[in-house]
Amino acid sequence: MNTIVNFRSLRIPALVAALFIAAPVVASAAEEPLPKFQREKTVFKVDEGKWKGPHLPDGQPDVQGAWSNTIGNHSDLTQSGSYTERNRREGEAPARQVVRAPSRISDPADGKVPFQPWAREKADEFAKHLLDPTKPEYIEPLARCAPAGPSKSFMWHGFDIRQYKDYVVFLFDSGTRVIHLDNKPHLHQKVKLWNGDSRGHWEGNTLVVDVANNNGKGRFGRSGEFFSENAKITERYVFDSDRQKFLYHATYDDPTVFTRPFTITIPIRRVENFAHDNWNNILFPAKHAGKEKILERYEQICTENNGGHGNGGVR
Amino acid sequence: MAVALVASLSALSVVSGGEAFAAPSGKIPRLANGKPDFSGIWQTTSAADYDLEPHSARRDGTQPVPSGPGVVEGGEIPYLPNALEQKKKNFAERERADPRNKCYTLSVPRSVYYPEPFQIFQRARDLTIHHQFGHSVRTVHTNNTEHPADPNDWWLGDSRGKWEGDTLVVDVKHFNDQTWLDRAGNYHSDALHVVERWKYLDPNTVEYKATIEDKNVFSRPWDISVILHRHREKNFQLVENYCFTLDYDKYYPVPVEQ
Repeated sequence: MNTIVNFRSLRIPALVAALFIAAPVVASAAEEPLPKFQREKTVFKVDEGKWKGPHLPDGQPDVQGAWSNTIGNHSDLTQSGSYTERNRREGEAPARQVVRAPSRISDPADGKVPFQPWAREKADEFAKHLLDPTKPEYIEPLARCAPAGPSKSFMWHGFDIRQYKDYVVFLFDSGTRVIHLDNKPHLHQKVKLWNGDSRGHWEGNTLVVDVANNNGKGRFGRSGEFFSENAKITERYVFDSDRQKFLYHATYDDPTVFTRPFTITIPIRRVENFAHDNWNNILFPAKHAGKEKILERYEQICTENNGGHGNGGVR
Repeated sequence: MAVALVASLSALSVVSGGEAFAAPSGKIPRLANGKPDFSGIWQTTSAADYDLEPHSARRDGTQPVPSGPGVVEGGEIPYLPNALEQKKKNFAERERADPRNKCYTLSVPRSVYYPEPFQIFQRARDLTIHHQFGHSVRTVHTNNTEHPADPNDWWLGDSRGKWEGDTLVVDVKHFNDQTWLDRAGNYHSDALHVVERWKYLDPNTVEYKATIEDKNVFSRPWDISVILHRHREKNFQLVENYCFTLDYDKYYPVPVEQ
């Protein structure tokens, strides 16, 4: 059997992979190497307003292509914007202040999830046991290949947006979301789904999506934050007319878990013009007779190849 | 107007082209470039997934399986002798060993005749085939690109489509050997090569044919044929079925303690 052994097919837990495996850069020798996709420490601005870019025949702004978030990842939803670096050994260089991307929580201003006290305890308990999951519920669902859910999917690998009359389709690393634009009613409330049931419409440059039927089983990150199946989620995808970036905002209204609604904001950039890095840009050049550069997405598989959390340590 | 013109041209070609491009009855949907538009939600009513070959009614464990005429042209699958032994072993262990029971991605062509709906989203450059079962997704490229260089072993293979008149012909290869063709243990190796033919019979019915070739398992290529029907129920939609999560579903969500 001829098999490419790459770390994506083995599904080495992503955190380990990101830290220790340098992904190959795919570029033909004749071409100028593409710049590496950069993580950022600030959130760019895109205002809601008119769409000045090209439209698809059905009138939607054309935002198709491959995208990835620019700040943070799924490890920590609310990390502070700066922290004091700890030294590994006494006597080394003095501790310095490190600036990093702010919390994904844009409202409230303190960047914290407005948990009810019992829920904060539950999130902390999960985070404490992440690497020592003494109960099955401490295993992060995404480590078991469950879909990441409405917001966490955007803090994960790069993803594709494909658009069609009446639909916007997101192809994520773990799972697929179909946004229905045709005003059909939501599924009955008894139906609960990992990625929810999405209804959307365009307001200028902004795709507004109402996500119902959530099963509340996912986590926002390895830091343990969660919401319940009673959450009402409103997403606003604000696309820059340059088609190179957009802001993802999601407001969670869930009185079961939180003391007030709060909003997650994730900055996202187009990745086709950056080097393939197996994380943000997961595209490969297509083989064809022409000179034009065509990039395509290969099969993304998870549960079939999953090796268990902790590289097999937890099944 | 342009669409209507293309449609009538293709109807004309039928007169001269003969049986290969038999005219669909009714005006079929088309993309702006004139190619047939398979967008929609589809499902077979065939019993193919129980057993591709003709079979009598039986039980799979506690579950009754209806008898079926089979969908293999000519009746039986032409196994090589050793492969037939393996198929018999698979049949004996089918309740435990069918990868479907783990909700693993079903491969091609099984994903097409599996009895759950799938949705096709189509652009000029590709078709995205999104399956309710396991929420698997396959891209069929129709932009004159070729299979990538071997080696690649994928669950759904690599799909490159081209148009022969109004028939979409898809060449699929680069499979792994982890999937089955049905619940009866019919199987393949990673040398599987499938050529699919998708053709409208009328605006709500598609004829799906596949030629299945695998030098490690079969003595010659063989063909199947099923009909796919368009879902037309009001507000019908796919409902995600990440059924591989069922085994650990019960551990989530966080219990509400108030």
